[in-house]
Amino acid sequence: MRNKWKVSGERWKCGGWYFVCLLLMLLSCTPKDQKLQQYFIKGEELYSKHCSNCHQADGSGLGLVYPSLNKSDYIDKNLEGVICLMEYGKRGEIIVNGKSFNKSMPGIPSLTDLEIAEIATYLYNNWDREKGVVEEKEVIEALKKCKSK
Amino acid sequence: MCMALGVVTLMVSCESKTLPILGNRYAEGGDTIYHTIAPFSFVDQDSSIISKATVEGKIYVADFFFTSCRTICPIMKSQMLRVYEATKQMDDVLLLSHTIDPEYDTVALLHDFAWRLGVESSKWHFVTGEKDSIYKVAQASYFATALEDKTEPDGFIHSGAFLLVDKRGRIRGKYDGTKEPDVDRLIADIKRLRSE
Repeated sequence: MRNKWKVSGERWKCGGWYFVCLLLMLLSCTPKDQKLQQYFIKGEELYSKHCSNCHQADGSGLGLVYPSLNKSDYIDKNLEGVICLMEYGKRGEIIVNGKSFNKSMPGIPSLTDLEIAEIATYLYNNWDREKGVVEEKEVIEALKKCKSK
Repeated sequence: MCMALGVVTLMVSCESKTLPILGNRYAEGGDTIYHTIAPFSFVDQDSSIISKATVEGKIYVADFFFTSCRTICPIMKSQMLRVYEATKQMDDVLLLSHTIDPEYDTVALLHDFAWRLGVESSKWHFVTGEKDSIYKVAQASYFATALEDKTEPDGFIHSGAFLLVDKRGRIRGKYDGTKEPDVDRLIADIKRLRSE
């Protein structure tokens, strides 16, 4: 009998710890964080497929040929612009960190709105940026605006 | 071609310090004749003629690319930039990037490209010329693939290789210009070649 009690006591203890751990996990991993993580991971994958050849894996760009993305006042200030250039490309001069770039970037029309949101989430939560999730809704709205321009 | 290159790749001596001499070779009299880069004549970003005379007595690194390429070229160029920085002070080392899209990559465009990379034209020559001559020198002299193929994403098939050529026009190393560790090896090999 004594043994049985002891075992159950340990079980209770174990269960208690389990409960505490679960609570901690839940607290540290709210659905919002999960979504951010999901978008970020998928965004990183898409980034390495579509963007990193030119802008480099670490986002450092290449001279005045391809602008850097890791440190970029253009990105910091232009979420809508960034969304639009992924879809429609970019032509003409663009000033990034005070320097002029003037090579055209082709758009990637094959990207879905969700994929653009994922790449944007990656860009805006990497390299010291902490914007949080860029929602698919924001992408749809931004694309509507730049299309009508 | 790759097979042949692989088969005939032998160490000149058993000393591990000497770089191999790549390509076919044959004996003539008592001498061994090695594969060397055939004569060429191209124009660089400053409209200067770049020929075998330019690279005579120099160690150089050659590659094939085109400015509008968005696949492997930008990675190659960021890696070649590392070679450039590492050899900046070495007067006997040159870099030679051939465009395989000479119709689009004019002298003016190459000039702009080099300027945008921020490199000296006396060190890093971006050359253009007759398309056939470029493709021929790529394949026959450097064992690098360069082909036009409209089905490819950018319209060309080409290798991302960096070729290390010694002062006598012989290929002494082939490296994957898209891989950092390979390019580290190239930089180390340039130093070894200089002390030969």
